[in-house]
Amino acid sequence: MKNPDEAIDKVLAGLRDVEAPAGMERRILAAAEAGTAVHGAAVSRWASRVAMAGMIVLSFTLAIPAIKWHGHLATEAQRHALPAPSAKGAQAASAPPRELITPARTPTRIAAPRRKARPVNAADALLLAEMRAPSHPAPEEPLTNEERLLIRAVHLGDTQVMAMLNPEVRARQEAESEAEFQRFAEQSGKGDSE
Amino acid sequence: MASIQGGIPALISAESAQSDVDLAALVESYSGLLFRVAHSILRSRAEAEDVVQEVFVRVIERRRSLQAIRDMRVWLVRIAWNLALDRRRRIRPEQMDESFAESLAGNSAPADERLDQAQRMRSVLREMERLPKAERHVLLLSAIEELGTEEISEVLGRSGSAVRALIFRARTRLRERLGARGGER
Repeated sequence: MKNPDEAIDKVLAGLRDVEAPAGMERRILAAAEAGTAVHGAAVSRWASRVAMAGMIVLSFTLAIPAIKWHGHLATEAQRHALPAPSAKGAQAASAPPRELITPARTPTRIAAPRRKARPVNAADALLLAEMRAPSHPAPEEPLTNEERLLIRAVHLGDTQVMAMLNPEVRARQEAESEAEFQRFAEQSGKGDSE
Repeated sequence: MASIQGGIPALISAESAQSDVDLAALVESYSGLLFRVAHSILRSRAEAEDVVQEVFVRVIERRRSLQAIRDMRVWLVRIAWNLALDRRRRIRPEQMDESFAESLAGNSAPADERLDQAQRMRSVLREMERLPKAERHVLLLSAIEELGTEEISEVLGRSGSAVRALIFRARTRLRERLGARGGER
C-alpha cells in the first residue's frame, strides 16, 4: 500500500459522508407506527401465536378421531347394506360368506349354476381375510393448501422471533433493556446535579 | 420534510398527546446521525436503516420515561450503536465490506485502477476489523463528524482522555499494519 494514511482517511471519509437512503425518515415513521402497534401488543401477539398453534393442534386432534369415526361409520353402513340372511336361505348361510357378498355382475351369471367353492385352507383364509379387510384407519391424506398455509404462518418467524417466544429469553432481554435504561437515566441525573 | 409530516397522520399527534415526544422532530434531527453510526459498524445501508427504525421503536416504547434522559442525542446514539453491534454479530460482515469498498473506489476511474482502489479499501476495512475492540469502536465513532470526543466517551462509557488515547493508538496500529502489508507486496 502506497500511503496507508491516505487509505485510512478515505475509508473514514466514506463512513462519515455516507448519505441516508431517500425516504428513510418516512419509512422510519411508518415502521415506528407499526412498531407501536406491535410492541404495544407484544404480549397479545405472543398469546395469539400460541393460541393459533393451539388451535391447529386442537383441530388436528379433533380431526383424527373424526376421520376414524367417519371410517367406522362407513364400514358399518357397508356392513348393514348387505342382504341379511333370510330364514329361507338358512341353508345358504352355511355357504362361505364370500359367495353371499359377491355381487352378481350380470343376470346371466345369477342364472348360471353356481360353481362349487374351492376349499380354502386356514392360512389362505387368514391371508384372504386380511387382504379383503377394509383399510382401517384410513391412511393419512396429504395436507391441504389451507393446512400448509397455517403451518407456514406458525413457522414463519425467524430465529430471533422464535427465541422471543421463549419467556425466559424475553424476560432477560427486557430486564437488560430496563437496566440499561436505568443506568443511563442515573448517569443523566448525576450529570445534571454536577 | 413537509411530505413526511403530511404522511404521518395520527401517529405523531397521538404519541405527542401521550407524551411530550415529538417523534417526527426526533426522526428529522437524528435519523441521519443514527444512520451513519449504524453504518459505520454494519457498512450496509439496508441494515443501518433497519437499526435506525429499531431505535425509534425503542423511543416509543420508552416515551413515558424519556424525561429522565438529559442528553437525548447521546442516548439515541448509544442505542443505535448497541443495536448495530448486536446486528453485526448476525450478518456476514465480509460481504458488506466488499460492496462498501467497491462503492468507495468510485466510478470515474478506469476499471483497473478502480479494482486496485477497492482492494486497498478492503485491506483497510479488514485491518480495522482486526484492531482491538476498544480501539476499533473509538476509531469508527471518531469517523462520524457530528460526534465529539466527549460524546464518544459518553456513548462508550470511557473518559475523554481514554478516547483520545485510543484513537491515537488505533490509527498508529492501523498505519503500521497496512504499511507492513504494503511492504510484503
